[in-house]
Amino acid sequence: MLFAIAFRNTWRNRARSIIIMMSVAIGLFSGIAVMALYNGLLRSRVRTVIEAETGHIQLHAANFKKDYDPALFLHNGINVLQQVRSLPDVKTAAPRSITHGMLSTPTGSSGVQVNGVDPETEYRVSKLNRKIIEGQGFSAAKTNEIVVGKKLAGKMKLKPGAKVVLTFTDTTGNIVAGAFRVAAIYQSNNAPLDEKNVYVTMNGLNYLLGIGNQFHEITLLLQKDDNVKQIQNTLQQKLPGYQVESWKEISPETELMVNTIDEYSFIILVIIMLALAFGIVNTMFMAILERTREIGMMIALGMNRVRLFTLILLETLILTLAGAPIGLLIAWALTAYYNKTGLNLSILGKDMLSSFGYSTIVYPEFPWHRLAAVFILVMGTALLSCLLPAAKALRLQPVAALQR
Amino acid sequence: MNNTVIDAHNISRVYNPETIPVYAINNVHLHLEKGEFTALVGPSGSGKTTLLNLIGGLDKPDSGHIIIGGTDITSLRANELINFRLHNIGFVFQSFNLIPVLTARENVEFIMLLQKVKRKERDKRVIQLFKQIGLEDKMNNRPVQLSGGQQQRVAVARALASKPQFVLADEPTANLDSAAAFNLLDIMAKLNKEENTTFIFSTHDQRVIERAKRVITLVDGKITADTAAVPLTNHKLIVT
Ligand SMILES: Nc1ncnc2c1ncn2[C@@H]1O[C@H](COP(=O)(O)OP(=O)(O)OP(=O)(O)O)[C@@H](O)[C@H]1O
Ligand SMILES: [Mg+2]
Repeated sequence: MLFAIAFRNTWRNRARSIIIMMSVAIGLFSGIAVMALYNGLLRSRVRTVIEAETGHIQLHAANFKKDYDPALFLHNGINVLQQVRSLPDVKTAAPRSITHGMLSTPTGSSGVQVNGVDPETEYRVSKLNRKIIEGQGFSAAKTNEIVVGKKLAGKMKLKPGAKVVLTFTDTTGNIVAGAFRVAAIYQSNNAPLDEKNVYVTMNGLNYLLGIGNQFHEITLLLQKDDNVKQIQNTLQQKLPGYQVESWKEISPETELMVNTIDEYSFIILVIIMLALAFGIVNTMFMAILERTREIGMMIALGMNRVRLFTLILLETLILTLAGAPIGLLIAWALTAYYNKTGLNLSILGKDMLSSFGYSTIVYPEFPWHRLAAVFILVMGTALLSCLLPAAKALRLQPVAALQR
Repeated sequence: MNNTVIDAHNISRVYNPETIPVYAINNVHLHLEKGEFTALVGPSGSGKTTLLNLIGGLDKPDSGHIIIGGTDITSLRANELINFRLHNIGFVFQSFNLIPVLTARENVEFIMLLQKVKRKERDKRVIQLFKQIGLEDKMNNRPVQLSGGQQQRVAVARALASKPQFVLADEPTANLDSAAAFNLLDIMAKLNKEENTTFIFSTHDQRVIERAKRVITLVDGKITADTAAVPLTNHKLIVT
């Protein structure tokens, strides 16, 4: 009977009930939307890191990354490359020669990391060709071409066809310099990296460095994301003297982001819940004030406080449970839709997002793993916020309430 | 056998004791026996509502004791008092008696559900009560679908549903036209006769007063007259 009263009471003031239902729905929806968006951003950031920046795993000579000494090339590089390419879990592997040096034009210079790549395999691993926004990319015959990032090109006023000089030290410590012609300008989602990395052919760079057909790095793309750790361990066992790193170690800021983003979304959730609580407290207060006489009458007849409290709790619960599926459904439908089509966040400013390493198209993902937590949070908020109005009802004195 | 239902000793209720004290009830003694049909009369502001609230356990006296069926209700704690009301006192208010979202039948059942009466017994009692108030055909109507008189009759049925020691009604006919008022009084009188239910009700209406077996007059918080209107029982005729 209490349930019947509670249920029918929720229909008495439809406008108000709909307000509570909608607040719950909106609360739940926004909570999930924030998480879905974060999930999507995170996922796309991780994908960008893996597919365009670091690959899944990188191999270097043990001390190479300390100060990028060109003499510390990968021992037996060609054999190792063939070995890892033959592993079933490895999709592709690309070799790179790497050195740090200076890029100069008649008007200025800038420190860069010079990546000597084999264009064909590089295109498959870091998708460099897809990032090209101006120019044609490497042509097969030439060894003195360079591909520079948009940020650097802007800073140095470079156009395709422009001439630059790269200066660095070779394996013996002599300073060497080479003239290169800009073949293309690329833009990735990560502006700071664009400014630092330039690409030349491995042949061209190796000739200047004097390392023959050796190279410093192998970048691996795996078939799947989830067994990186395991393959990393296997490789490390097979190649004891080498440095084997996964993307989490190469790009620790991405790993950190994965871990902190949950906290951010939690803070936003709490803010949303506070707003929801405020709405519920107000509406339930109104609901109780409106029914003062009726509640007074029920207390007079012999309805005790436990039952009265149960009644108010039930009313809130019914409204919340009615609102929750609506919010969930909208959230699910919208995330499913935008997960397919992508949500364009470029209104926020393309440059702003890419300067943090994000792509502007986000594919929100429904946070199934957080669903229970969000649901409990919303229900908990609803129940907590009915405590105050309920306390008000419980304090009613029947005589005073009936006289109103 | 002790037939005492209400035994109120020396009760007083003072409003605003700090500022301008109002002695709404001033040293009143009241004794009510099983099966009485008593009207409480008096001018407006004489303390009728206050007295009924006190003996109904809705309000507490500032002094004195109220003993109902052997229990001193002035010593009960708030929760015990709620439970005491549920099992011992039937209420009919002047207006706004019924829970609007429940049907007439559910309103009557509600009180028995609070008492945890078994379903079978509930059904039996509901049918019986609606027969007695002559509203069998309106059992499934919501209060808004009933006239004022019909609503008050349902309230009487609800008051009786809990099998209380007595039924207390504060101006139950105040919002009714005279036909409905008489009809309600008829039903109350019939229940008094058939079920020996004890009634105490306040009223302004002379024609309602005439139906009472005993009339208690209050003036300024004091009982000024206590008459057996139809001197059938052992009530003494007291005129002061
Ligand atoms: N809550 C209150 N605070 C202060 N004074 C009150 C309060 N309730 C009643 N009184 C006063 O107590 C006295 C008795 O009031 P009560 O309501 O019992 O009279 P009544 O006989 O029921 O009157 P009526 O016939 O108008 O219903 C009145 O003087 C009234 O003003
Ligand atoms: Mg009154």
